[in-house]
Amino acid sequence: MDLKKYEDKNSIGVDVLKEIGSIGTGNAATALSTVLGRKIEMSIPEVEVIGFNQALKKLGGPEQVVAAVLVQVSGEVNGVMLFMQDLQFINIVLESLLNKTISDYDEIDQLEISALTEVGNILISSYMNALSTLAGITMDLSVPSVSINMLGGIMNVPFVMYGYQMDKLMTIRGRFRCDGEEVFSRLLLLPDMESLDYMMKKLGVNVE
Amino acid sequence: MKLCRAPGVLVTYALGSCIGICLYDSVIKLGAMVHIMLPNAPQGGNDSVYKFADTGVKEALRRMGTFGAVKSRITAKIAGGAKMFDTFDNSQWGNIGERNAKAVKDALRQEGIKILKEDVGLNYARTLYFESATGTATVKAYGKPEKKL
Repeated sequence: MDLKKYEDKNSIGVDVLKEIGSIGTGNAATALSTVLGRKIEMSIPEVEVIGFNQALKKLGGPEQVVAAVLVQVSGEVNGVMLFMQDLQFINIVLESLLNKTISDYDEIDQLEISALTEVGNILISSYMNALSTLAGITMDLSVPSVSINMLGGIMNVPFVMYGYQMDKLMTIRGRFRCDGEEVFSRLLLLPDMESLDYMMKKLGVNVE
Repeated sequence: MKLCRAPGVLVTYALGSCIGICLYDSVIKLGAMVHIMLPNAPQGGNDSVYKFADTGVKEALRRMGTFGAVKSRITAKIAGGAKMFDTFDNSQWGNIGERNAKAVKDALRQEGIKILKEDVGLNYARTLYFESATGTATVKAYGKPEKKL
């Protein structure tokens, strides 16, 4: 049976997605730690099917400003990956890579954008790499795009992309701690319905 | 979609490629705000009319009518329709904001509603306030001065 709605996933399905999230986020955390030379810990990923407003509540407020890196996934699996970070996390990155810190988002210039994009790209790529190896899936990643803006506008993008098919999205969310300190950083995988099915089948999970 | 009478204020937070449409009947001071996400509703109907520009505008006007608004008096102000990711060049989704703006304008024109002011496009999210007492719309965006429409 093919799944028509995300809600149809049973608890085994959710466990598998958590595992996928863990492996992905774990690899991303290792990569991040190598790049920044800091100790990075990750949380247990949260897997949830949620609507737009709910997603905003889980991630922060609609007007919270974040820097987001977006990569589009295509090929055998389709979806979007988003990495979001706040000023504190940006400063950790900039301090490690460029040896500087900023006090406001408007101090972010071309060089800083480039550094943030690259870190986002490394995180997302290592996540997807792990997933691809695990499930034996081939995926293509788009060139990363960056946006520094209100969370609401950014989270809007994946919901609009799939807006014609569904109102709720499957979110696999991971977060990081840096040197034992909680920092706002969210790594989100938003696969479309078919891809979710496909991944499950590849992993040999019976989702009925 | 929300309706409100003076002195109420309607607000929608952080519009990205979405568009906030403020509809106003100045005589009875009835305001409506629709937050649409996509241009045109798919054929064959759907359960979320306010998600789409064409069905959203139509339904909002109908609802305003039931609260005593007269269509010939209703005017509109719109904001949103940004392109959130600059280099995100996907022909289908890259310019969704622009397509939304066009669909909203088409829908309003079809209904004979005049757009008094607009703040659409560019690359940042907007929070939109709409005062039903005066018909003033205010756009707030991160790192930008407040804009009155």
